[in-house]
Amino acid sequence: MLTEYLKIAIKNLRTRQLRSWLTILGIVIGVFLIMSLLSLSQGLKSTVLNQLRAVGTDIVMIIPGNISDIMTTMMGGMELTEEDLNTIRKTPGVEAVLPNVYKAEIMRYQGGSKTVILAGMDIRNALDIYQKDIGMKIAEGRWPVAGRKEVVAGSLVPTDVFPGLKINTQTTIKGRQFEIVGILKSRGSKQDDSMIGVDMNIYQEITGERKGAPQAIAKIASGYSVDQVAKNIKANLEEGAKRRAGQQGESSYSVLTSEAMSGLVGNIMGIIQVVVFAFGSIAVLVGGIGIMNTMYTSVRERTKEIGILKAVGAKNSTIVMIFLMESGIIGLIGGLGGMIPGLGLAKLIQAFGQVHPILYIEASITPGIILFGLLFSFGVGCLSGYFPARSAAKLKPVDALRYE
Amino acid sequence: MTGRPLIKLENVWKIYQLGKVELEILKGINLEIALGNFVVILGPSGSGKSTLLHIIGLLDTPTKGKVFLEDQDTSRFSEDELAQIRGKKIGFVFQQFNLLANLTTLENVMIPMVFQGVPENERKEKAEFLLSSVGLKERILHRPFELSGGEQQRIAIARALSNNPEVIIADEPTGNLDSTTGQKIMETLINLHEKEQKTVIVVTHDPAIADYSEQIVNIKDGQLVSNHLVSEKVLWAKRK
Repeated sequence: MLTEYLKIAIKNLRTRQLRSWLTILGIVIGVFLIMSLLSLSQGLKSTVLNQLRAVGTDIVMIIPGNISDIMTTMMGGMELTEEDLNTIRKTPGVEAVLPNVYKAEIMRYQGGSKTVILAGMDIRNALDIYQKDIGMKIAEGRWPVAGRKEVVAGSLVPTDVFPGLKINTQTTIKGRQFEIVGILKSRGSKQDDSMIGVDMNIYQEITGERKGAPQAIAKIASGYSVDQVAKNIKANLEEGAKRRAGQQGESSYSVLTSEAMSGLVGNIMGIIQVVVFAFGSIAVLVGGIGIMNTMYTSVRERTKEIGILKAVGAKNSTIVMIFLMESGIIGLIGGLGGMIPGLGLAKLIQAFGQVHPILYIEASITPGIILFGLLFSFGVGCLSGYFPARSAAKLKPVDALRYE
Repeated sequence: MTGRPLIKLENVWKIYQLGKVELEILKGINLEIALGNFVVILGPSGSGKSTLLHIIGLLDTPTKGKVFLEDQDTSRFSEDELAQIRGKKIGFVFQQFNLLANLTTLENVMIPMVFQGVPENERKEKAEFLLSSVGLKERILHRPFELSGGEQQRIAIARALSNNPEVIIADEPTGNLDSTTGQKIMETLINLHEKEQKTVIVVTHDPAIADYSEQIVNIKDGQLVSNHLVSEKVLWAKRK
């Protein structure tokens, strides 16, 4: 019986093709927005969280500025000074401090050239920390020797960035020749896996950035409470800043344990996703109102038809079912039509990010997201069609038959 | 009366409220229609005959009074039960044909069977048989707008017969047709009555149609003015 109603519903939609397609377009736009933004924000979340998971629990991250105002900190170009780094080093319980420095540079390799993230690494003092606490491991070759013009490449460099790249070959960065001595194992984040690591001294020499860092990582010595040392680092940094207040004004610092960082990133991403979903939902809602409008117009136009169907034995539930199927199909096709370009756009942004790694975002396309998109749009379709369907079913057969 | 009462109306009133004005369309109609009768309801325009037919056909409910179908009080039935009864026991033929424009001839005839849960093969076979019996076998894939008025009315008759109902209710079936085509439609209805013993109820303002009937009901200003059976040998022109 349901198959028969479905056939009738499809026939009805076909009869009003132009209007059906225009209504579908309303849903397409909403779902397109939701799908592209949701898959990108989901991808961003998993990228960042994967990265954080690789970090050991005895590691803290130091960021200048208040964490509640993280965007200002990141966008405003606030940096830790050399003095700040020394303050961290001197705090009891800190085993080592790694300034987190990176810069986008053009790398030339065998005739090709691409922008890569060049990261400065303190090979001389902290190679052990990179391996044990940050989770960087050599897959092929070896680590660069401190002071030598040697680089190590992320796992995606020989596959995605410069396909066919091999160790013991030469590359040029900022006009200087380097030997590629090692390839790293994947760390689960495409941004990390696309980077080129170079000894800190060489990094400072070729980029000209010799002092300070946007952020720093500190390893806490065993036997110390990570939380307590984190608090001490923060207090020392703020005390130092106060001393310099005459020159620089008041400063604040955020010292985050890896656990706090995961929580923070999870929260921020969660908020972004909620906002994205809310905006997308508004678009879908507008599409839903479009469906409702179309269905109400349809009920009016087909009043007589409804009368005929009732006269020949259609129950109220049958009329509701036929109209619900029509609006559900509109929603479903709209969902499918919005999902394909939406996820396509997300993939396109991901591909763009591979060419310009600084913008790298991974598009997360999971069966869950696809199923959610389809069910959501089908649901909106059915919901929008319900009230027109009910009003169609309520018509008395004789009144409907008289309608011209 | 040629058999047991199939339909019985008891003091049926239909009143419409138009603002503060009450419009009485039917005023206390009492009527019995026996199984297997050919009934003509006659009356001028606006006399309430179509409203009466809609109430008899369970498309409408009376404001006051009761309608019995096979001795069952129809006011006790829910809307869905009424729909089920209409689909199963009553076939409608309308002046405007009332075919579904986006369905083919075959699909139009099949649709009442869909609502009765008849399997697809059986539906198709029956619809093809009915369409060929009204002479439209070659037109099964046409849409209603591609056919003449007479052809459309024959499809409507085939549709009315699809669930093999006991009653055929026709509201001005020849009203939109020329006299020759109208004559053919009436012959089809008479055949159904004579050969298949269907109860046929026809509403018309054309007294010539009364020639075909066994029971003539006259209605004027919402009231029954006469209700004659052939067996009473009332003087009217006999058919043939």
